[in-house]
Amino acid sequence: MRVWPRRSAAVVPMTDSPTSGGRSTWPLTAIAVVGVGLYLFPIYWMFVSALKSAAEIFANPPTLIPRAPSTEAFAYVIWRENVFRYLRNSLIIAVPVSVITLVLGTMGAYAMSRLKSRLVDVAIVIVLLLQVFPEALLATPMFIIFRSLGILNTFPAVILATASKTLAFGLVILRPMFARVPIELEEAAQVDGCSVWQGFWRIVVPMMKIPLMVVGCLSFVQAYGQFVYALTLLSKNEMQPATVGIYSFVGAEYADWHRVMAFSSIFVLPILVVFIVLQRRIVEGLTAGALK
Amino acid sequence: MTVRQSPLLYVFLALPVLYLMAMIGFPIVYNIVMSFQEVNLGNVADWNRPFVGFDNYREVLAEGAFRKVFVNSIVFVTANVIAQIGIGLAVALFFAQNFAGASFLRGLLMSAWMLPALVVGALWKWLFTTEAGIVNHALLAIGLISRPIYWLSDVSTALPAVTIANIWFGMPFSMILIAAGLSGIPREQYEAAALDGAGSLARFRYITLPALAPTLLAIACLATIYTMRAFDLIFAMTKGGPLDSSNVLPLLSYQFSFTQFQFGTGAAIGTFAFVIVFAVSLIYVRTLAKEEPV
Repeated sequence: MRVWPRRSAAVVPMTDSPTSGGRSTWPLTAIAVVGVGLYLFPIYWMFVSALKSAAEIFANPPTLIPRAPSTEAFAYVIWRENVFRYLRNSLIIAVPVSVITLVLGTMGAYAMSRLKSRLVDVAIVIVLLLQVFPEALLATPMFIIFRSLGILNTFPAVILATASKTLAFGLVILRPMFARVPIELEEAAQVDGCSVWQGFWRIVVPMMKIPLMVVGCLSFVQAYGQFVYALTLLSKNEMQPATVGIYSFVGAEYADWHRVMAFSSIFVLPILVVFIVLQRRIVEGLTAGALK
Repeated sequence: MTVRQSPLLYVFLALPVLYLMAMIGFPIVYNIVMSFQEVNLGNVADWNRPFVGFDNYREVLAEGAFRKVFVNSIVFVTANVIAQIGIGLAVALFFAQNFAGASFLRGLLMSAWMLPALVVGALWKWLFTTEAGIVNHALLAIGLISRPIYWLSDVSTALPAVTIANIWFGMPFSMILIAAGLSGIPREQYEAAALDGAGSLARFRYITLPALAPTLLAIACLATIYTMRAFDLIFAMTKGGPLDSSNVLPLLSYQFSFTQFQFGTGAAIGTFAFVIVFAVSLIYVRTLAKEEPV
C-alpha cells in the first residue's frame, strides 16, 4: 500500500501531455527557465563570489563568471576559520533535534490521527498556536530559565529549544499523512492478536517511511540553520554552530565577502543537494501540512 | 482495547504536547510575568523579583524608538504579505499552465526558501553592498540610478532593502502553497465557463479568486507569522539600523534584553509582538477549521 501519493495534485501540471491544443509549449518552458534562473541568481552569485580572489571580488564592473577562479577563499575559511569545527557543532545540534522531532512527532501525529477524543482537538489547536511564536522573543525567557536550571552554554539547551520549533512543524506536516492510513489495517491486526504498540510499530510506521524522511530532512535543515538560540544560549566560541560563525564574519562593517561567501557555500551546499534530490517529496509534504 | 481509545495513544499525545507547553508555552508565560517585573543583570538569576506593575509598558510606550519600530514592523509585514502573495499568485498561475518541466522548475524556486535565514541575510548584505554590490552595478548599468545607493547605511533605504530580501526568501513558500490551492479547483468549472464564453480574465475573477479565497487567507496568516520571525535576516543585514530604520519588534525586544540588559523592557516589547502574532494565528486556526473540520 502506498500512503504517500506518487503525484500529488499540487505538483502536477493540469494534464500529463506536454502540449496543449497542439501548440508547442517550449516557449513557456524557456520563459520559466530564464525566470527561475534570474530568481535564483543570488544563489549563483554566492558560489561565484566564493571562487573569486580578493582582487577580483571588487572588480568594476563585476565579473559574472570568474576570470581566474581561485580556491583561496575556501582554503582560508577551512584552514584559518575552523569551518569544520563550526559544521561539527551544527551537526551536534541538528542531529539530536531531528531525532527528537521524529520520535515525538511520530507519536503525536499517530495519536492525533487515531484517538477519538475532544483532547485531540485541544492538542491540535495548542500545537497550531504554539508554533507561531518568533524564536527571538522566546530567546529571552529561555535564556533566563536555562540559566536558572544551570544548563546555559550546553548543547542540550540549544537542542531542547530548537526541537520545540521543529516538533510543532513536524506534527503539522505528519498529522494529515498519518490520517491517510486506514485504521482498518490496525483493527484487523488487533483481531489477529496484535497489540496497539505492534500495530503502530509494525504496520503504520513502516508505511510512513517517506513522510518521516521528509520531516527528518526538514527538521534537520531548520536545526542546521538555527541561529537565535545558539547565539543566545551559547557564549563559548568553540561551541558555536556555523550560522553564528558566518554572522561573526558579516557583523563587522568591513567583510571579506569572497570568504563569507565561501563559508556560506560550504555550509549550504549539502542542504541544496538534498533539496534538489528530494524536491518533489519535500514540496508535497509542505503543501499537505500547512493547509490542512 | 481498541486503537481509538488506547491508553498508550493518550501517552503518545501527551508527550509532544507537554514538551511544547514546557518549551514554548512556559517561556511565553514567563515572559509575560517578567514584563511586569524589574529584571536586570543583578537579579536575573533569582526567581523572586520586584513587581513594578505597568512601568515597563509605560517606559516602552514613551520610548521614541518603539513607535518607529512598531510602524516599521507593520510596513515590513504588510509589504511582505502583499508582495509574497501577489507575486506568488502570478508565478503560481504561470506554472499552472501546461508546459514541459513546469513542476520541476516551480519546485526549484523553493531552494531560496530552504536556505538558512542567516545565510540569506549575509548573501543579500553582499548583494546590496554599496561599492561592489551587484544590485547597484545592475541598476547603474541599465541606467535606473546615476550613482550608487547606500542601501544598508541610509535610513531611507535600509527597510526597503531588508523587505526585498525577505520577499525573495519567503515568496517561493507562499507560491507553492497557492499552487496547491489552485490545483484543488475542479477543471470542469473552467471548461464550463469557457463553453459559456468566459475569457481568461473573467475565469480568474469569477472562478479562481473565489475558490482560492480561503487558501489565500490562510497563506496571508502564515506569511505574517513567518515574516514576524524574520530576525536572523535583519540581524545579519543591518541589525535593525541605521537608527532603528530597519528594526522590527522581535529584534528590538532582543536588543533591549541582550545589549542593554533591560530584560523587563524587552519582555514588555515581546508581549506586544506576542499579542499581534497570537491574533493572527487565531485567524489562521479558524480558517483551517472552516476548510476541514478537525
